[in-house]
Amino acid sequence: MEEALVPDPLLQVEGIHTHIGKHHILQGVSFEVFPGEVTVLLGRNGAGKTTTLRSIMGLLPPSRGRILFKNRAIQNMKPFEIARLGIGFVPEDRGLFNFLTVEENFRVAMLQKNGDTEERMEFILDVFPDLKKFWKSKAGILSGGQKQMLAIARPLVNRNELLLIDEPSKGLAPIIIEHLIEAIHRLKEHAMIILVEQNFYMASKLGNDFHLFDDGRTVHKGQMEKLVRNEELKKKYLGISG
Amino acid sequence: MREKEDRFKNPYFSLKILLLAFFLLTPFLFRSFEILDVVLKIIIFSALVASYDVILGYTGIISLGHVLYFGIGSYFVGIFMGKLGWISYGHLALAFLISIVISGVLSVLIGLFSLRIRTIFFAMVTLAFMEFTFILSSQLRSITGGEDGISFKLPGILAIDFSYGKFLGVEFTGRLISYYLILLLSLLLFILMLRFVHSPVGRVLISIRDNEQRSIALGYRTYLFQVIASSFASCVAAVTGGCFAMWVCYVSPDSSLSVPIMLDVLLMVIVGGMGTIYGGIFGAAFLMITRAFLPKLQVLIASLLPGVPFAIRLSERWLFYFGLLFILIVYFFPKGVIGTAQEIISRKKAA
Amino acid sequence: MIAIFLLPILLISPKTYITLTISGLAMGMLLFLVSSGFSLIFGLMSVLNLAHGALFAWGAYLGFTAFSSIDKWTGWGGSSSIFTNMLIFLLSLVAAGIGVAILGVVTERLVIRPVYGSHLFQIFITVGAMIVMEELIRIIWGPNDEPMPVPINFIGSLDLFDVVVSKYPLIAIVIGLILYFIVFTILRTTRLGMIVRAGVENPEMVQVMGHNVYRYFTGVFAAGSALAAIGGGMWATFVKSINPAMGGEVIVFALIVAIIGGLGSMTGSVVGALMVGLSYNYVAYLIPKAALGITMLLLVVILLIRPTGLFPEGT
Repeated sequence: MEEALVPDPLLQVEGIHTHIGKHHILQGVSFEVFPGEVTVLLGRNGAGKTTTLRSIMGLLPPSRGRILFKNRAIQNMKPFEIARLGIGFVPEDRGLFNFLTVEENFRVAMLQKNGDTEERMEFILDVFPDLKKFWKSKAGILSGGQKQMLAIARPLVNRNELLLIDEPSKGLAPIIIEHLIEAIHRLKEHAMIILVEQNFYMASKLGNDFHLFDDGRTVHKGQMEKLVRNEELKKKYLGISG
Repeated sequence: MREKEDRFKNPYFSLKILLLAFFLLTPFLFRSFEILDVVLKIIIFSALVASYDVILGYTGIISLGHVLYFGIGSYFVGIFMGKLGWISYGHLALAFLISIVISGVLSVLIGLFSLRIRTIFFAMVTLAFMEFTFILSSQLRSITGGEDGISFKLPGILAIDFSYGKFLGVEFTGRLISYYLILLLSLLLFILMLRFVHSPVGRVLISIRDNEQRSIALGYRTYLFQVIASSFASCVAAVTGGCFAMWVCYVSPDSSLSVPIMLDVLLMVIVGGMGTIYGGIFGAAFLMITRAFLPKLQVLIASLLPGVPFAIRLSERWLFYFGLLFILIVYFFPKGVIGTAQEIISRKKAA
Repeated sequence: MIAIFLLPILLISPKTYITLTISGLAMGMLLFLVSSGFSLIFGLMSVLNLAHGALFAWGAYLGFTAFSSIDKWTGWGGSSSIFTNMLIFLLSLVAAGIGVAILGVVTERLVIRPVYGSHLFQIFITVGAMIVMEELIRIIWGPNDEPMPVPINFIGSLDLFDVVVSKYPLIAIVIGLILYFIVFTILRTTRLGMIVRAGVENPEMVQVMGHNVYRYFTGVFAAGSALAAIGGGMWATFVKSINPAMGGEVIVFALIVAIIGGLGSMTGSVVGALMVGLSYNYVAYLIPKAALGITMLLLVVILLIRPTGLFPEGT
């Protein structure tokens, strides 16, 4: 924090408004994300966190505002173009191809085979060993936790600098969540992660920074460790105490 | 009370009165039978298309087999008058009645089916059903007269050869009387349909069409409403079918049950506009008039371009241009001509 | 389920059974060609293409023209060598396939693109497209039925184990199977196939992974159209004639097959097509008038047991 050189933000979201049909979901969302960190987006259900991720990914283009990735405006780009720039997306429903095998899921995800692909695959399988076991099985038969791991592992096969992960802990047992936290920890060095999480425990364990969402706006930000101790904020925006 | 007053002052109301007057006076305005024929077909098909609009435009169900009920109506009239030879007013009315009941019941059965399958499946299944009935009627010669169909006469004053003398220069024939009877029936059907879509039931249907999930959440048994709507529409279609059979005094698979007729209805409802009962009138008029007069135009053009068979064929196939025109209409006027007009008007009002 | 198809043996003499089975399988194969394209297009792009039947007809007509032209040049159609017969036949089919694939791409760009997302408008606009395409056939080739030329060696029958078997259905079955295996292999083993299968399951996710799904759409549309065209050419050879309205006749069957098999499933198309083809032929022999009825019955029964069709999307 005392560095004289402030690194450039990897992703800048500037005042975006997004509509779904007639509904004005995002009413001014702004935040920045710096390399080497895990940023957590927190807030109640319906506060606009998922919509924000989808806007970044180009699935719900914003009607106003800008999104800059490595200083490049991406708010009007198509999802596949954005993906090719190096952003990976793990949606809430995981987006797995259940009728394809684990191997095929990876092959679909892999955009380019280059020098470090093998290395990356080794790393992925090291972090998520179960995937190796079920390599040739259809993704649909995996357990909930394994599916989540596959969903997160998939985009890693490319040189993605940014990973958007939406509520990975949803529907998972606590012990699986622990595994997930460990795994994501190991990923930190390879990609910048924006995490949307309802599970505060997980969020606090993984996040460096946070941004609070309320009613489609970003209302507060700061460092995770400070939030953990801030009862007032937690109660007000997340409805949790203690 | 205010509402009623407004309705009369409404300029569109006078337009509708004008249209009605036109239909009433057609036999007197035009002495040619051909024109009378075209106009009545417009009237009959307007009602049919409007009934389809109730399902498609108001309830949002995509059915591709609606003409099935049209066929049922036609066939009952044809079978009673023709095959069974029961030529009397009573039997004519009975034919209508039975076809209404059967159509209603059939559409409920098919509706039961639709609960379990996705919308597009339903569309395809209804198409398949209609096609099946088409083939069935082509093959059951003893009942339906097979592919050749059934020709028949109408009772009493409706019969073609009935004549009563002249009235304002127009002969009072069975044809004329049939014309007015059908016009009256169609008018009643139209009023019925308008009442239906503006009634509370109709409003629920519109809300279901626009947002089915929300309607279910609000506690409406959407399925029930959809079945009611489609039953109603199929009964109306049956009546129009009976009218059609009455007018042409003939019924056959090709004239009352075929896929091309369904396509025509589809064309008409798109051109006219979905969700605008009146759109049916415009759509029917558009199609009937084009169909009747374009071929004449093309004969004219063909006579100007002698020689090359390709060029002749190019001008001969008016349906080709119609198809292109149709695609353009779908593209530029997705709400149909009447629908788009209504939208423009309501936008102007809001401004 | 397979047992049902062996039932007819009880009612029909074994020899006739074999003949019927072969024509049933042939019909099934041809139905597969037409319905697979429709099913895959719907599965991947969620597009209802009612003009698919017209593509079928175009395939038949292009095949007709190709065959006649090649025959004029080389006389292969009438030659006694089965090799050249096969050659001209396959060449015409390929020509038809390529031609209709191009037509398909044009159709997809102009007519289908604007109506992605709305099944209703797809129905409308593809009906219009169907009319236009059918009329175009009438304009180019004339409105009448035409006899379809058949290579000499395809006519007639073989005597196999004392059973008289028409030659052509056998050829149709073989070609159909080969095409099925080609499609199957592409879908199962190539990366392209994987992406298409993934797209059928979840087109949005495929986009998110960096693939331009729209290009794949166009490709699948072209491929589906080509298959329908080949089906058309082969069907025409089967019934030995072509007419402009043949598209409309076949689309209902193709629709039924696609629904029975499950939209978006190749395996479903094959199974559905064979079921319809076989049942139609058996029943047509036993009770001619009920032939179409059995198809309808099949449709109703299967939809009652499994409302989404036999096989799920993406298989």
